[in-house]
Amino acid sequence: MRNLAGSLVAAALMMSSAAFADVDGWLNWRGPEGIGVSREKGLPEKLALGTPVHRWTIPMAGGGTPVIAGNKVYGFGYRGTGADLQEVLFCASAETGKILWEHGFNDFLSDITYDRYTIGSPTVDAETGNVYVMTSAGEFVAYTAEGKPVFRIPMMEAFGRLTFTNGRTGAPTIEKDLVIIRGVTSNWGADGPAMDRLYAFDKKTGEVVWSASPGKAPKDNTFGRPIFGWLNGKRVLYTGSGDGSLVCVNARNGQTIWRLPVSAGGMNATVVLHKGKVIGIHGDENLDSSEKGRMLAVKVDAKVTPVEGEPPLLDKAAEVWRNKLTAVSSSPVLVGDTLYETTATGQLNAINANTGAIIWTLKLAPDQLHASPTYADGKLYIPFQNGMLYVIKPTPTKGIILSKTQLAGRGIGAPAVWNGRVYVFTTGGLYCFGNPIVPKNQTAGLPKDVATYPAPGPIASLQLIPSELLLRTGDKAKVRIQGIDANGLPVKELPVTDATFASFVPPTAKVKSTLDGSFDKNGVFTAGAPSAGAFKATIGPLSGTLRGRNVQPLPFNIDFENFTPTEPDTYEPGPLFAYPPLPWIGARGKFDVRDLDTSKVFAKTLDNIFFQRATVFFGHPDEKDYTITAEVRADGSKRTMSTVGLVCQRYYVILNGNAQELEINSNQERIKATVPFKMEPETWYVMSARVDVQPDGSGIVRAKVWPKGQAEPAKWTLEVKHKNVHRQGSPGIFGFSPQSLYKVYVDNISVKSNR
Amino acid sequence: MRKSFLAPAITVAISAIVPLVGNAADWPFWGGTSSRNMVSPEIGLPQTWDAGRYIQGSEEIDMATTRNVKWVSKLGSQAYGNMTVSKGKVLIGTNNEVPRDPRFTGDRAVLLCLDEQTGKMVWQLAIPKLGTGKISDWEFLGLCSSPAIDGDKVYVVTNRCEVLCLDLNGMANGNDGPYQDEAKYSTIGTKQSVTMGAQDADILWRFDMRRELGVFPHNITNCGPLIMGDKVIVTTSNGVDWTHTNMPNPKAPALAMLDKNTGALLGEENSGVSGRTLHSNWSSAAGGQVRGKDMVIFGGGDGFCYGLDTKTTLKGNFEIMDELWRFDCNPATYRKDKTGKPLKYATFNGPSEVIATPVLYKEKVYVPIGQDPEHGEGLGSLVCIDPTKRANLQKTGLVWRYDKIHRSLSTPSILGNLMFVADFSGFIHCVDVTTGKPYWVFDSKSHIWASTLVADGKLYVGTEDGDVIVLAASKQMKELGRFDMRAPVYSTVVAANGTLYVATPTHLYAIGKSKTAQAPIDHNSPVAKAQLARMEVNAAKARAEHQALTACLVDGRSAVKED
Repeated sequence: MRNLAGSLVAAALMMSSAAFADVDGWLNWRGPEGIGVSREKGLPEKLALGTPVHRWTIPMAGGGTPVIAGNKVYGFGYRGTGADLQEVLFCASAETGKILWEHGFNDFLSDITYDRYTIGSPTVDAETGNVYVMTSAGEFVAYTAEGKPVFRIPMMEAFGRLTFTNGRTGAPTIEKDLVIIRGVTSNWGADGPAMDRLYAFDKKTGEVVWSASPGKAPKDNTFGRPIFGWLNGKRVLYTGSGDGSLVCVNARNGQTIWRLPVSAGGMNATVVLHKGKVIGIHGDENLDSSEKGRMLAVKVDAKVTPVEGEPPLLDKAAEVWRNKLTAVSSSPVLVGDTLYETTATGQLNAINANTGAIIWTLKLAPDQLHASPTYADGKLYIPFQNGMLYVIKPTPTKGIILSKTQLAGRGIGAPAVWNGRVYVFTTGGLYCFGNPIVPKNQTAGLPKDVATYPAPGPIASLQLIPSELLLRTGDKAKVRIQGIDANGLPVKELPVTDATFASFVPPTAKVKSTLDGSFDKNGVFTAGAPSAGAFKATIGPLSGTLRGRNVQPLPFNIDFENFTPTEPDTYEPGPLFAYPPLPWIGARGKFDVRDLDTSKVFAKTLDNIFFQRATVFFGHPDEKDYTITAEVRADGSKRTMSTVGLVCQRYYVILNGNAQELEINSNQERIKATVPFKMEPETWYVMSARVDVQPDGSGIVRAKVWPKGQAEPAKWTLEVKHKNVHRQGSPGIFGFSPQSLYKVYVDNISVKSNR
Repeated sequence: MRKSFLAPAITVAISAIVPLVGNAADWPFWGGTSSRNMVSPEIGLPQTWDAGRYIQGSEEIDMATTRNVKWVSKLGSQAYGNMTVSKGKVLIGTNNEVPRDPRFTGDRAVLLCLDEQTGKMVWQLAIPKLGTGKISDWEFLGLCSSPAIDGDKVYVVTNRCEVLCLDLNGMANGNDGPYQDEAKYSTIGTKQSVTMGAQDADILWRFDMRRELGVFPHNITNCGPLIMGDKVIVTTSNGVDWTHTNMPNPKAPALAMLDKNTGALLGEENSGVSGRTLHSNWSSAAGGQVRGKDMVIFGGGDGFCYGLDTKTTLKGNFEIMDELWRFDCNPATYRKDKTGKPLKYATFNGPSEVIATPVLYKEKVYVPIGQDPEHGEGLGSLVCIDPTKRANLQKTGLVWRYDKIHRSLSTPSILGNLMFVADFSGFIHCVDVTTGKPYWVFDSKSHIWASTLVADGKLYVGTEDGDVIVLAASKQMKELGRFDMRAPVYSTVVAANGTLYVATPTHLYAIGKSKTAQAPIDHNSPVAKAQLARMEVNAAKARAEHQALTACLVDGRSAVKED
């Protein structure tokens, strides 16, 4: 126990933790100290269902960890089936489990399968009590403790956040005035290539403050929570990355401090800090051996080598120790100098955090996926993928099983502990356990907010907030300017009236493009024509930049005739092509503009099979109540044919060449309806779609298709009712060339308001 | 001290000096023969072994620390395929994480051809990845196909969704066959230019299932090709896309039949398998004669098992293999709940496809259902089907069903009246072949991906926890040994010509007469002589029993030797 106390002090010095000024609790996924540890006493050791220690159960599926703020429990779960399934952010009484408020969220346009929802957790801000969560479809939302909306950011359409089969939303993380989320995004310009990126937002306004691309091309959608610390005067965060690196990023400005490539797959688990080391684990190929999986510790302040055009590299000599443990994403728990880790084959391991030596191993389950242990009151509470919940007493030489309980569903998150209660969320329910009598003053001794910043140095540069704009032509946005010191620490907000703004093309930009529009003297930007680029603000010797994109407001038509194909096609030599518009999300490298017959058309590229399927968003995410119409064509052979379609208010409306069907879907497991439609390759058709929303929140998705040149049919070809209809969403284009064999084309797009 | 040391040493020595190798035979196909019954006629196999330890700071096994290990060959970092052995060569699929040739670097699928006696590489085929990412050619998965060796030719399906016919002797005897673009093939997607050499594979013909059949392979293409006469029959791995609901090409065949000499397409299934596919079509086909006629047995990605004729009928543009019968391997209760509502796939109680290979044994078909390990554990079912029936086969063709098995990837082993089969949850079941009643169930406490191998009166199976478990292949459950391979064992143990082959993701072990330093044995000592006598008696008994039982294998093997 002496070791534990020592460790907590050490951890407290290194960890950010949340501020404890206003709201106390298990406010985030990994607990108050970010290491999966609670200091509470008097917790139950036998968690049998139906006994007095089983306080209550909320019958809702969950794939993460609940958080507790005072006497409120916040959970992110899901319920319903088929088209009616929704993810639910709820607030419940910690005493009774009674739900006090909730908000439901649709999945849309995602690849998430097998109900792999809510794999992550909400986070509560200790200062404001606000609760933050990102849905599986990438809506980043904030609510007050009373359930009132604060902001809602559609990461998919606004920043090109991608979804994957396995869900994994992760957990927002609070750092003073910022809330930080992560995800693999394929945005525009320099952020166009897919990367595991971090985004910091102003936690009160939802304005983006910085984004970071600390790794290289991702191999996995890592969802580990960043862990904060101080490094050479900088406030930094450490995390594993989807490209298989451990990374250290300046938490104030998003600059990558270092990157250490470790794995050929993602580094998914949350890291822990221990005595100047960051400790992580992964389950994929190592870069320097052919074995899969490794736990390793690296010195955070080792030598860093700059790399041109890439994040700096941490010296390999930074590695202090390694062992052969393997985990997909289960995160380690740190108790004193001992780590506890559940590995991919279901073993609980005790590891010496100083040396990496495995002290003991206890096989508990056939496997472990995402769930992690939580340590409290001398016990480890460990859910497993198979729904078994263990309570283990770790000793210096072995682990002793105190109890095991079969819960309903699968255990994916880590337990949360607060005020004498142990909370475990499985896909079968949110369970609350606790002894009838709870020792008082449980929170005594917890470290107070140690993220107090030192006095900053002189202002060294300007931080423009928001750092990225998405506007329709004519829209306005107010920009603030914060002076930050050489370490990125905020100094003070500067009068925007002192600044001059000028169009800016970064010297490293591959596409020399400018953002159309102008700033007034109060720092209000008025968006001009559709375009994408950057602006620089200057105050005396100081400067900072922001970037942005303007998209067209309704109504608009696009016929591509003003494009000039000049780029040679090396894949199919002969024709020339032009790059798609820069402000379009998801277009470059997947589509191009080229001549076909006597017209210029938007064409699916075939040169990179990785992009055989692509979705493009070319409008504003807030658009609603519109009709999108376009001419479409899919090519093919007697064996296979491509698929082409549109995106209308978060519904795909597609012509499926191989199925010979018109289809409406929005996540195929959620809503999918088809009607036979005979289509020929190399033949143009016209598609049209709209979504009609009813006052009760339901709606009808309507689509029609007819051969080009024929009269538009009066009736809709396919109409689909949706109880929780999507109420808004950017218009877009969908193309799928299975195995990159045959192109699809789109032309003459029109988007008109239905009003 | 001396006694405890001597006993295992003597065992080793005796297995080395006594000609116990009875039915020494190659293992040229997945399952040994077209019946796919995971039983080998080998006897006198090593009783014990030690996989050894790494030389510090390297991934090389220190042979001095091994016991009864003939050789160890370094693989890449993953090896999900299975070994086949024929004509002095061992073939195995892996990846390129330990490049064996500086010309071929980066992530590739690799087919290794090794010398049976030494484990040294004879040639390799280093296949570039498709570049699709996880959806059709998952990074680092390597070559998952179990090669079929037919005479001097090798048939394999690749990570690029091709069927390749290769020269078993590689490029050393020249670039044979109509296919001459090996250099180009080896550098697809790169700007490299290479000259092929003696240690390169010689491709004789190539059939691209994506382009020629419209296949959309899910995750990776996998099967052990089936050779029947002049035909090679492959499953295509046609499957769902990222959404795991949409089949990009529901009309592409799940199984195709090619001319084994030319690679020409002869026929394909047209039973609507792809349209009903739950995930992918990864099961290999079995084949043999039923009532005197060739029949292809195929476990579909839709959870049905099919009997297909090798004769075809022209329908539209395509030659179609006539469907003789089909049988839903899922109990009705896995398809729909009590109210008739369809149960969701990839849930514990929901329906499954066939991933294991059906076994054709004495004119009966045996096959379990299963799912991708990533879907976790769930309800399984093992069925015995009568393939001679036709009308109303779902009722008339069911001989028995055993539902105490969990989801399984494992192909059964049938020996006499006993069937052994593992499931993904780690249970090994012994059931009566005629009734489906269980004799025993052994809990390995680890996931099992591999199939059982029954040989020499024993059952061998590898586990994800990294053990090879050895049980008595008998009505009585008895654990005979457990050998730590120090890495997961996803592949099936293979026995050929007196040697056991065990593959981990990183190393292939040939377990047999050891070349490594052993403790000096006095073969003339009374202890050794007594041990020798006991072993001879036991070996003779085991040989007689095993020969009697394996005589009834449906056997396409031509190289079976009698001792």
